Amino acid sequence: MIKDILKSRNLLSYLLVLALFLTMISMTGCGKKDHPTTGQKKLNIVTTLFPLYDFTRNIVGDNAQVTLLLPPGMEPHSFEPKPGDMLRINNADLFIYTGKFMEPWVEGILKGLDSKKLVIVDTSRGITLNEEKEDEKDQDHAHGHGKTDPHIWLDLSNAQKIVDNILEGVIQKDVANRDYYSKNAETYKVNLNGMDAKYRETFSTCKRRIFIHGGHFAFNYLAKRYNLQYIAAYHGSPDAEPTPKRLIELKNMLKQYDIKYIYYEELILPRVSEVISRETGATMLKLHGAHNVSKEDMDKGITFLSLMEENLKNLKVGLECQ
Amino acid sequence: MIMDILDFLSHGFVQKALIAGSFIAVLCSTLGVFLVLRRLSLIGDGLAHVTFGSIAVGLFFKSSPVYVAVPIVMLSSLGILKLVEKARLYGDAAIGIASSLGIAAGVLLASVAGGFNVDLFSYLFGNILSISIEEVIASIVLSIILITVIFLFYQELLSVTFDEESAKASGVNTKKINSILVLLTALTVVLAMKMVGIMLVSALLIIPSVTALQMARSFKSTMFIAAITGVLSVLLGICISFAADLPTGATIVLLNILFFIAAFIYKTLR
Amino acid sequence: MSVEVVSADGLAFQYNAVDVLTDISFDLSEGGYIGLVGPNGSGKTTLIKLLLGFYKPTNGIVKLFGFDPADFQDWHKIGYLPQKIVSFNPNFPATVKEIVALGLVSRKKLPKRPGRADKLAVGHAMELMDIMDIKNELIGELSGGQQQRALIAKAIVSEPELLILDEPTTAVDPETREKFFSLLKELNGQKRVTIIIITHDTGTIGKYASKLLYLDKKIIFYGSFEAFCVSSEMSDYFGEYSQHLICHRHDTANN
Repeated sequence: MIKDILKSRNLLSYLLVLALFLTMISMTGCGKKDHPTTGQKKLNIVTTLFPLYDFTRNIVGDNAQVTLLLPPGMEPHSFEPKPGDMLRINNADLFIYTGKFMEPWVEGILKGLDSKKLVIVDTSRGITLNEEKEDEKDQDHAHGHGKTDPHIWLDLSNAQKIVDNILEGVIQKDVANRDYYSKNAETYKVNLNGMDAKYRETFSTCKRRIFIHGGHFAFNYLAKRYNLQYIAAYHGSPDAEPTPKRLIELKNMLKQYDIKYIYYEELILPRVSEVISRETGATMLKLHGAHNVSKEDMDKGITFLSLMEENLKNLKVGLECQ
Repeated sequence: MIMDILDFLSHGFVQKALIAGSFIAVLCSTLGVFLVLRRLSLIGDGLAHVTFGSIAVGLFFKSSPVYVAVPIVMLSSLGILKLVEKARLYGDAAIGIASSLGIAAGVLLASVAGGFNVDLFSYLFGNILSISIEEVIASIVLSIILITVIFLFYQELLSVTFDEESAKASGVNTKKINSILVLLTALTVVLAMKMVGIMLVSALLIIPSVTALQMARSFKSTMFIAAITGVLSVLLGICISFAADLPTGATIVLLNILFFIAAFIYKTLR
Repeated sequence: MSVEVVSADGLAFQYNAVDVLTDISFDLSEGGYIGLVGPNGSGKTTLIKLLLGFYKPTNGIVKLFGFDPADFQDWHKIGYLPQKIVSFNPNFPATVKEIVALGLVSRKKLPKRPGRADKLAVGHAMELMDIMDIKNELIGELSGGQQQRALIAKAIVSEPELLILDEPTTAVDPETREKFFSLLKELNGQKRVTIIIITHDTGTIGKYASKLLYLDKKIIFYGSFEAFCVSSEMSDYFGEYSQHLICHRHDTANN
């Protein structure tokens, strides 16, 4: 009988220690973010994608705390919000997302949000969306899937509309500073416009007008804007696979158009581009889709415009422009 | 038609896929026979998740993720054996523990590091069409090692797989044999996961041997049928995925399932 | 002085702080034939496992051919048939021949390829157990009796000096059982094979074994069957009626 008591005492003390341990862990986890700032409360803005994050930063300056929902280095097409993310959105003043095709999960969580102060901005409002279809010009059949292409931000005129939509939302939450925000937005749009002009100028004198990408179908908005032809290895998310036929098609296309460059995308292992490069001798060049950035880049303070600058440089090389 | 086939086979990535894929199939399906009979079928899946966590460790310390992963996964495989022995668990529970730990570690490390430069989850998805020449060589070397081990230790492996206690009473060092088995599995999983991804590794470890079990009339023939089924599924899978313009990995898995169904029907009708 | 095949001295084993075996001391010489009997949970299988080195004793000593089981090397001298109920997966895809051949794994050095002598030994063992006609059948597809015969063949194929059989005749038909005991008698009589056989069937084993070891966590009785039947201590322990039942059942079986 004594043995039984001892055994149960052991069990009790074990449970007690476990409970203490768990409490300690959870206490270190909480309390990191929810301290209210003293003085005038800053706007709390949650954004989903890096370009939205960058645009918003530029508009609000120091008047708001802008956070990016996606952790750095994570690829966004398969992102599913965790309970913590839901909380963060619910506690925010402003929630800015790309559109229902880039973040299909937003629709689902809208019912779960019960905040009275939260303003939600769909930045794709007013922007014409395209289908995920390549230019049918030189192909036997288009690789269309009837899906909508969500990568609107890579067209620099769309980017300006996105800035407008964000501005509207910000002003709605903070009318007092509308002049400040409007001025910032204008300045930023001028920069975007300037970049757009640079792109147009660069692409006016290129030897080739087609670029081939060993990643997912992301750059069609960009291509269409400058009348370029864009071929991607596969559709959907960066983690999808091309079929063997597709790989052979891409190789043949490189040969057919005498293209010496193959593009790879950000944040994933560039397996497909490597294969094509190995077997055709093509040089690999990076094309950053600006969905999300790596931790390194985030720490370095990278911006959307700097990414687009890099892209322009690489496209200039690959398209063999003057 | 012939021209099409010849053209298809002229591409480097196709050749590498056929060769490396076949060797990986042999590795996985042969090992799989022992694993399935020992009720360790899901160890491939479990160790793949541990690989995921180990790669996070590698990325966290800014070193080559694969070289860091190999020893960690091998140690974990021994850990699974220890759990079975000391914590008195069946294989599936021990594997479950290792698997959850692997994923949790990976996600935790990614969070603590504030993110990596590459999406960690992309390591779970290999692509059989993007295998490098080094990986081809690695798969051949590992296959030779496995075949040598099976040749040297066949009777002991069979003995331990059949009845561990009797094996002990025959003087077989069951600890050593079990360790060899899981260590080889660990190496195979790390390598194969990098080359073809977790979906294909898990499938090739389990399905060909289950197919062979439907049909085999001896242990030796079980191993042969498993290996042949695995290799056939890879070879046919690559070709069919080309002809029908389908993703290769999924096609191979589906072929494996078709083979299993065929074998099952054959067994039932007999 | 020749080495005892098996010897135990003060052997004890605890599991989870529960006594499974206490103070087990006995010797078994070459050519001995022990029936190890006792009720369920009496520690019979545990004793065997201690003997084979699967467990380490909590107390006392056990020796196998004069060696601590952990140091013992000549496992080909031992043929072991475990209790069928905890044995193998019945769908195991091996033929009878492959299974019987496993009994030889103890005999060889690397790379352990089966040679001609091995193949002959396997054939011989299968003949003895009358399973030549099913040698290419899968073990899982056989009847209980056939499976048991195959496993017995596996136990004897290396021509062991010590045969340990754990409940070898449950689920076996009477004809097979008779043949089996005749074989054991031959092995024990002509080849001086030492035999330990665990069985519930006290009466039957009394007919064949030279000694009876009655176990119930400790040794209740160790001696010949005849002595068992006339022992007044055993009378007291079991009650006269039970003793009578055990001792005379085999007589009625003979009539």
